[in-house]
Amino acid sequence: MNRSTSLKISRLGLIGLLGPSLAIYAFVMIVPLFLSFYYSLTDWMGGPTKTFIGLHNYELLLKDEDFWHSFKNNVIILILTLIVQLGLAFLLTTLFVSKTMRLKELHRTVIFFPVVLSAVVVGFVWQMIYSHDYGVLNAVLKFMGLESAIRPWLDDPKIVIYLVTAPLIWQYLGVPLMIFMSAVQGIPKDIYETCELDGCTGFKKARYITFPLIYDTIKVVMMLSISSNMLVFSHIYVMTGGGPGTSSMVLAQYAYKTSFSSMQLGYGSAVTIGMFILSFGIVILFKRLAEVRNS
Amino acid sequence: MSIRQPFRKLGKLAFNVGMAIFSFACVFPIIWIIYSSLKTKDEFMLNAVKLPAHPEFRNYYKAFVEGKMAHYFISSGLNSVIAVVVVVFLSFCAAYALSRFRFRFRNAIYTFFIAGMLIPVYGLLVPLFLQFKQFGLYDKFYTLIIPYIAIRLPLPIFLLESYIRSVPVELDEAAHMDGASKFYSMTRILFPICRPAIATIVILVFLDTWNEFPFSLVLVTNEAFKTLPVGLTNFYGQYTSDYTTLMAAMVLSILPVLAVYLAFYKYIIQGMTAGAVKG
Repeated sequence: MNRSTSLKISRLGLIGLLGPSLAIYAFVMIVPLFLSFYYSLTDWMGGPTKTFIGLHNYELLLKDEDFWHSFKNNVIILILTLIVQLGLAFLLTTLFVSKTMRLKELHRTVIFFPVVLSAVVVGFVWQMIYSHDYGVLNAVLKFMGLESAIRPWLDDPKIVIYLVTAPLIWQYLGVPLMIFMSAVQGIPKDIYETCELDGCTGFKKARYITFPLIYDTIKVVMMLSISSNMLVFSHIYVMTGGGPGTSSMVLAQYAYKTSFSSMQLGYGSAVTIGMFILSFGIVILFKRLAEVRNS
Repeated sequence: MSIRQPFRKLGKLAFNVGMAIFSFACVFPIIWIIYSSLKTKDEFMLNAVKLPAHPEFRNYYKAFVEGKMAHYFISSGLNSVIAVVVVVFLSFCAAYALSRFRFRFRNAIYTFFIAGMLIPVYGLLVPLFLQFKQFGLYDKFYTLIIPYIAIRLPLPIFLLESYIRSVPVELDEAAHMDGASKFYSMTRILFPICRPAIATIVILVFLDTWNEFPFSLVLVTNEAFKTLPVGLTNFYGQYTSDYTTLMAAMVLSILPVLAVYLAFYKYIIQGMTAGAVKG
């Protein structure tokens, strides 16, 4: 079929329309990746000289305990988020579907609100919640008579990683919830009605209708969750800075620290590349697993 | 049946009360810093959870004037406004080209942009810092605006491309018949039609830029160029034990976000979930 003349455009016109976007986008998102790979092959410390040292940084990286410890923390955050946040979001979705619930609009607006807050604000708020002397958490424990449980929460290296995960789960709960809810709205009402005639109750409806029918959406949400959680930075920077020691250190924080606190720019670049490889690796691994389960 | 009726009502009530408690718990941290910011420091230290006995705004004065929050407000505001305008302009042009014309590499370019939604942006922190130093772009008044525009491009292009594609091509053709130039039909016909999508983009880009932290932390050192969240962390460094003033500063930084959210939450939720449902 002949396309009409109004849909033809000169090459110059196309360049004019697309060129600026492509240029700035490539400059910020693509070029740094290549540069970073190049720096990761050097021993650059920020000075005028950098020596090419091949894959030496990567050899160090493989043996670097702090790096793997940070990765482990990322994985802990990731697993907790996937289970608690997505589980809670799914539960809430099934509740939102029920006719019993009143003021749905209000609940929706309230639960989604933290999503639009700055990560820094959220970090500070939770740091204050956990604060030993003035925190809400200890105040609540005191009120309930559980004074033995009171402690300087973020100073305890054993539990700090779980504590810094809570704000992440809290802040972004609204995202999977809203995505699940719009997926559920796509399920034809008569499926539920038929099921109700057969004597389906709330739990069975969730298990045998809602869950399988929005399974694809759940997979997409899990992918989004994985790629964002592998790079969590601001919250932890504000709350603990990775401490005490390295107990709440995550990959992005570690890359930041090696590059800016100790100015090991070559090695910091290797950490960044390692972080990219690991997070893409997990995404691909997950994609494989999810597809296998499907077939 | 008639005996079970009151029980069922009671169950409903319990369920809704439970839900209300859950939602309240979700916003409580924010409510807590809002009312605590109206307390004096001593009052807060005596009891951190109680409502203020004599609400007062001295903390706000302190945060705004002594804490120099005004600087960061201006910087965040300028960055946000410029980012919004430029992103809308660039993404509209790109989306127009991608949705209305067929050309070589069209699909490759589209995928190239959309892939940006998957690139973990804060992994670029260190490399971008090095690159900006090399190119002499480090710590300038325009430094932050460059990454802010670039990292926000993928979602608007995705939203606008599918929006323009849903507008019948016949509209463009009719305009062409009547002697309208492409520029005319793009700016005077398509642009107004895309208003709902553009509204979503304006709001999302504004919020993201207003809240941005890592790039501002790394790419600039001049106080005047830093954004609000970095301002908050500096502020915390200066007034470590002065929680109530820090809370006032945080509330100030939240206010514009809260206003935008309450006015446009439907657009915001739509925009933030659009990518996932369609993809």
